[in-house]
Amino acid sequence: MVDIKFLEDCARRIRRDVVEMVYRTKDGHPSPSFSVADILAVLYFHSMKIDPSDPEWVERDRFVLSKGHACPALYSALARKGYFSTKELTTLRMLNTNLQGHPYAPKTTGVDATTGSLGNGVSVGLGMALAARIRKLDYQVYVVTGDGELGEGLIWEAAMAAGHQRVSNLTVFVDNNNYQSGGTVEKVSGPYPIKEKWADFGWHTQSIDGHDIKQIVEAINIAKTVIDRPSAIIAKTIKGKGLPFMVGDNTWHKRVYTDAEYEQAEIELGGWTE
Amino acid sequence: MSEQVDSTRIGFRDGLIDLAEKRDDVVFVSTDSLMIVKAEPFLERWPERVIELGIAEQNGVAVSSGLASSGLIPYICTYAGFLTMRACEQMRTFVGYPKLKVRFIGANGGLYGGNREGVSHQFIEDVGLLRTIPGFTILCPADGGQVHQAMLASVDIDGPVYIRIGSGKEKKMFSDSTPFPIGKIRIIEDFGNDVALLTYGFTLGRVIEAARSLKERGIGAKVVEVATIKPLDTEGIKAVLDKTGCVVTIEDHTIIGGLGSAVAELIAEEIPASLVRLGLQDVYGESGFPEELLDKYGMSIDDIMTAATQVIVKKN
Repeated sequence: MVDIKFLEDCARRIRRDVVEMVYRTKDGHPSPSFSVADILAVLYFHSMKIDPSDPEWVERDRFVLSKGHACPALYSALARKGYFSTKELTTLRMLNTNLQGHPYAPKTTGVDATTGSLGNGVSVGLGMALAARIRKLDYQVYVVTGDGELGEGLIWEAAMAAGHQRVSNLTVFVDNNNYQSGGTVEKVSGPYPIKEKWADFGWHTQSIDGHDIKQIVEAINIAKTVIDRPSAIIAKTIKGKGLPFMVGDNTWHKRVYTDAEYEQAEIELGGWTE
Repeated sequence: MSEQVDSTRIGFRDGLIDLAEKRDDVVFVSTDSLMIVKAEPFLERWPERVIELGIAEQNGVAVSSGLASSGLIPYICTYAGFLTMRACEQMRTFVGYPKLKVRFIGANGGLYGGNREGVSHQFIEDVGLLRTIPGFTILCPADGGQVHQAMLASVDIDGPVYIRIGSGKEKKMFSDSTPFPIGKIRIIEDFGNDVALLTYGFTLGRVIEAARSLKERGIGAKVVEVATIKPLDTEGIKAVLDKTGCVVTIEDHTIIGGLGSAVAELIAEEIPASLVRLGLQDVYGESGFPEELLDKYGMSIDDIMTAATQVIVKKN
């Protein structure tokens, strides 16, 4: 039985942590973190086979945040899951922090893949998924890419290889929030139609509402049952979803909350607790 | 199993087979490069340990990152520039930075390695590019047997390793069982203290010949093989320079960024000595046979002898 309310609260807490991290440390990417909050909540608090007390467990499921700039959301999920203290969250991007500006596996407990430079995560996830096949281990690999990121040719090198090799323990979420740094993806890079592209490379595809917990859970369940192909889940999302004043304003791609905005976030998302 | 033990490509393949026999974490990542190293015997024995990714080097390196972070030791082999230039960022950010044990084998190193293929397949910048990236071990063996030995010696090194190989038409320089001395220079010939000739890879043979000719003219040269470019054996090189006071570096690589630059840095900071750098003088090569290319681009035996004579004059 999926506890939808619990997972929705996990997602709310991720968004609230992102606000706290960006407000206190005065840096980071708020709205790209918000758009993946629900997907991360489902993966870390429901779907993934993981054990925070054994972060190097060889048969754990793996997660790759290809759009590494959304790492405040990932750091929140990891801290709330118990990989490290929530006290660390407010050290984001500060000197000597374990929470680098983009994910760095050797420093941050629970981070499976170093990312940040866009376009690489599907390939890294493919390597992890192939390693399971070679080592005869049973685990799933989940990757989240952005939609602007689909402009990187390497994404499609990986899509072709994974489809060709029928790597079924690999699932890629496309966080289709329709924006990249310079504006809408339609205007800047033209990735549509997205679902058809993955299908053409031999992937099983699904389209979901990336903020609907139930749909995310079910899509992951379906992806697991696909045993002859990798899975792409095109998640329609809203950049900044969760705080109305961020929605539709792409300056929140990278921006710091003012005191007034922070107070508004507290009203919308609740007070912050470690 | 070797049909041509002097071939660096076969040296790689045979080293990989040796490693795979002993340990099950060794895998081969091919970017449609299986045939260039005649790896069919590996494929026949361990088909599940060959990851064929097609002509897609960035994907090859990033997939290798994922393999390495999941407990395997991937060996990715293709043309040197397709790794170090096309996939340079993947080598840096996804392998070097997280300190992963990916092994890169770069073929067609230098004019000698690329020879008749021409500039697009002659890689004269690989060593220099990688030298700027923290954490890489850079190995440049002189022949096939040394590549084989370098493979065995480097398997357990932490972090990434780059091994430069050629076209498969190299001359044999060492007996097959000669160990590869990671991190140490090797004095190959010692005819005196007049000048040091530092080199690596496929120029070693002609440097030895030059040293012998110099000896006939009464000039005592030391031939020093620097097959590990990084980490550089600075103590070993300083001990040599302490005796000779001057040095010629000879490398089938641009003089910018490679061994010549590394020695210049050492001289500038730690041990004053005169230096002449032979190699490509900030130019591209062209198609041709290996030996004639080295001759044309400033690495002939005469060039080496002339440089040795000049650097001794500079010293004095």
